[in-house]
Amino acid sequence: MNIKTNNSEKLELALTNLYHVMDPEIDLNIIDLGLVYEIYFDEKSNNIMVEMTLTTQFCPMGESILESTAQAMKQSFPEHEIHVNLAFEPPWNQSMISEAGLNFLNS
Amino acid sequence: MITTGSNSPIKNTSYQVVLPFYGYAAVSFLIATLLILSSTSAFTEHYFNPPTLAITHTMALGWGTMIILGASHQLFPVLIEGKLHSDFLAYLSFIFASLGIPILVYAFYKFNMGGIALFGGTLINLAVISYLINLWLSISNTQSKNVHAIFSLTAVLWLLTTTLLGLLLVWNFTTNIFAENSVHYLSLHAHIGIIGWFLLMIIGVGSRLIPMFLISKYENEKQLWWVYLLINAGLISFIFIFFLSLDTTIYLIPIALIGAGVLLFGNHIYHSYAKRIRKKIDEQVQISILSVAMIIVPMIVLTSIVLFFTMVNSKQLVLLYGFTIFFGWITAIILGMTFKTMPFIIWNKVYSTKAGLGKTPNPKELFSNKIFIANGITYLIGFIIFSFGIIQSNVFILNIGAIFLLITAVLYNFNVFKILFHKAKSNEY
Repeated sequence: MNIKTNNSEKLELALTNLYHVMDPEIDLNIIDLGLVYEIYFDEKSNNIMVEMTLTTQFCPMGESILESTAQAMKQSFPEHEIHVNLAFEPPWNQSMISEAGLNFLNS
Repeated sequence: MITTGSNSPIKNTSYQVVLPFYGYAAVSFLIATLLILSSTSAFTEHYFNPPTLAITHTMALGWGTMIILGASHQLFPVLIEGKLHSDFLAYLSFIFASLGIPILVYAFYKFNMGGIALFGGTLINLAVISYLINLWLSISNTQSKNVHAIFSLTAVLWLLTTTLLGLLLVWNFTTNIFAENSVHYLSLHAHIGIIGWFLLMIIGVGSRLIPMFLISKYENEKQLWWVYLLINAGLISFIFIFFLSLDTTIYLIPIALIGAGVLLFGNHIYHSYAKRIRKKIDEQVQISILSVAMIIVPMIVLTSIVLFFTMVNSKQLVLLYGFTIFFGWITAIILGMTFKTMPFIIWNKVYSTKAGLGKTPNPKELFSNKIFIANGITYLIGFIIFSFGIIQSNVFILNIGAIFLLITAVLYNFNVFKILFHKAKSNEY
């Protein structure tokens, strides 16, 4: 897991719910898949920016995964505005899968 | 406030565009198996007869083509890395095809090659033209012109060649527009469709999706370009040999070229499999990989026809060849891939707005896996028995095989409509 953030404590809180957001096709959560690149907490504007990717551009499940991510973040931070943005730079590749994710896929 | 994907290019094709194709194809498969059960004696006669024509076109158009049209509208964005240009053109394609196919099949069944068949054939061509324009504009709007997109576009161009030739052949029954009668051109019409449309499209889509499902590290676009060249060269050489009326054994050249392309594609899939990260593969992908390999069966039959044309009863081999393509290779792929694509489309439709609000079922839970497995077993039994019945020209064996194929179609339809009518349980949210 290599998620950029400006607040490690809040990141831990975010992760508790983000670990439940699954890619339905692979059946692995988005954190172990390495789909989340950055979570930025803007305390002044009360906004949280999540930058994430998908395993493939135009993934048919993409909209659901983004929506689930936003809902999971909202559960952790109900008072904040959540913005989930897609990024395809760098493009996702298999090396972004965590050790736990690889163990799951190898089992 | 929650916003998602403000810079997102991932607006997927609407499920409303895609699902009618799936439903239509499932019913067509059921109708084809009913037709086959009621016409088994036709499989002991010459392949050019009304029931065989009707069954072949129900399978090729109503079953194979309709499900590919449906799935490809959903999968094109993944293949071409861009949005589908128009939902309207997709609807138009469905409307034209869904009206044209039963009209054409009815005309063939009644052997009425006049206005009815011409009308049905014209509607089918309009469906293909709508589809081609949609794909062409979709690709034009993207920056990526990858090998998968070119495979798909070429396949649709061959499909249009097939359906236009088909329409002319129908016309040729009542007005002499060709030098020979229509039966003479049947193998040309059939092979442009089988190799140009089905094989190219299946390889174009399969070479993108199978490594994706396997999460494979293997990439070799150059190899896929070779596959593309070999198969197209094989098909074009076949057309030349056909028109030059060369010796039958010369047909081994296109067979060898296409066979080499298929083997190279097999090699591509093998390496994708060997370098996969995902070790546990679900039954749907396993069956899809196996069924892609089933193209070998009709290729062996075809080689036998060319090599032993005068030595054995070629009538049975020709029937077996067609059967192993439509009820073998194409059906096996569809039986597997339906349940790898359709549950996700419905899952998106039912649960995308409920994502993150409660526990959602896995897309695989939208159909019965037990019925899926039973479906595979009855299919294999039916396919083997019916093939044996064709070789033996035995109506009793053909009837038993046809019953198993009908059971397969019923089980398949059960699972397809179970997915189509899936609704979220009200107490879950």
